[in-house]
Amino acid sequence: MEYRNGKLYLLALVLIMGVVISALGGGAFGQQEFWLMQWQHQAFMPLCHQIPERSFWIAGQPMAVCSRCLGIYTGFALGWLLLPVIDCQRVFHGLVAKRLLGIMLLVNAADVLGDFIGFWENTLISRWGLGFALGMTATRLFSGVFFNRKIKSTGDLYGRITSSGV
Amino acid sequence: MEELPRQEFDSPYQGTDGSSEPSYWTSVTMAGVLFGIVAFILSLVSSYAIINSEPTGTIFSPTQLLGTLACLLGAFGGMVATWHYIREFDLSIKLGRGALIGFLTGVCIAIVSVVLNQVWQFVDPDMTQKVIESTIANMEAMDMPEAQKQQMIDATAESVRDQTSIGSQLLWGVPLYGILNLFTGMIGAKIFSKQQA
Repeated sequence: MEYRNGKLYLLALVLIMGVVISALGGGAFGQQEFWLMQWQHQAFMPLCHQIPERSFWIAGQPMAVCSRCLGIYTGFALGWLLLPVIDCQRVFHGLVAKRLLGIMLLVNAADVLGDFIGFWENTLISRWGLGFALGMTATRLFSGVFFNRKIKSTGDLYGRITSSGV
Repeated sequence: MEELPRQEFDSPYQGTDGSSEPSYWTSVTMAGVLFGIVAFILSLVSSYAIINSEPTGTIFSPTQLLGTLACLLGAFGGMVATWHYIREFDLSIKLGRGALIGFLTGVCIAIVSVVLNQVWQFVDPDMTQKVIESTIANMEAMDMPEAQKQQMIDATAESVRDQTSIGSQLLWGVPLYGILNLFTGMIGAKIFSKQQA
């Protein structure tokens, strides 16, 4: 398997892992101060509504982001981590990945709007699941960018000029 | 008189590092200012929703559900900046350049929203105090032991004050907006580039 842009891949991996670990909030690390004062909550405050009823809880404290945001971050982190593995299979890449990302964005937007208007009531798990799918789909855009598995022929005609396809 | 060599400072095709790549600063500034204003307006709407809400006795009032519609909106600045850059110069950009444009846009968003928040302190100097009072009134309506209630009130008041300080806003806003917009910048580079980045 060949790779390129290795530094960018590693930088992005470290950053997204940092985001996921921070998003878990103070409960995951046994922080004692009131959760609203924890640095994780302060950091994500401009980016997420952080409503405790719409967030997962760890050790009696809500996470620093809502369940959908957590899903997006974890999905993106897992997808990024698995890029070397999934790239070998070449599933959902190129235009298909772009269309899938568009569809997942629309599904998430529809879920938010439907719940807000009162058409249906989503749950912690459903919000996390849709966010996870969105994050995971976003990483499919980078298929073949960092890793590429070239399948070389080892047959009798390997390296020779043949007339097939002419 | 000796004629000085002509320098084309206004050329859009002058890269920041002296290369022939077009400058991305117009796109970064445009998206940064736009999303900075959006982030500021959202925080303003949220603050006045708290001020005007009746004490319900819950930690967050129903008006704050509005925030669910705007979750992560500030992270899309990087994508818009790369879209504008690619469209403006009709070119294909590398993933690293998309990441850089996204990161700088995130930094710009954080700075613009902080500056606007500070300017608003002159327009309505009592806003922070009103938010604290409204939050305290809401917490006093909660059904919990007095000592715990007092601890929550103190922590929340301190938290609201922290949110309005320039240092705190920049300390958390710059890296987080920067990182998330770095990712959306990369996504934008992949989606909008003419060829594969």
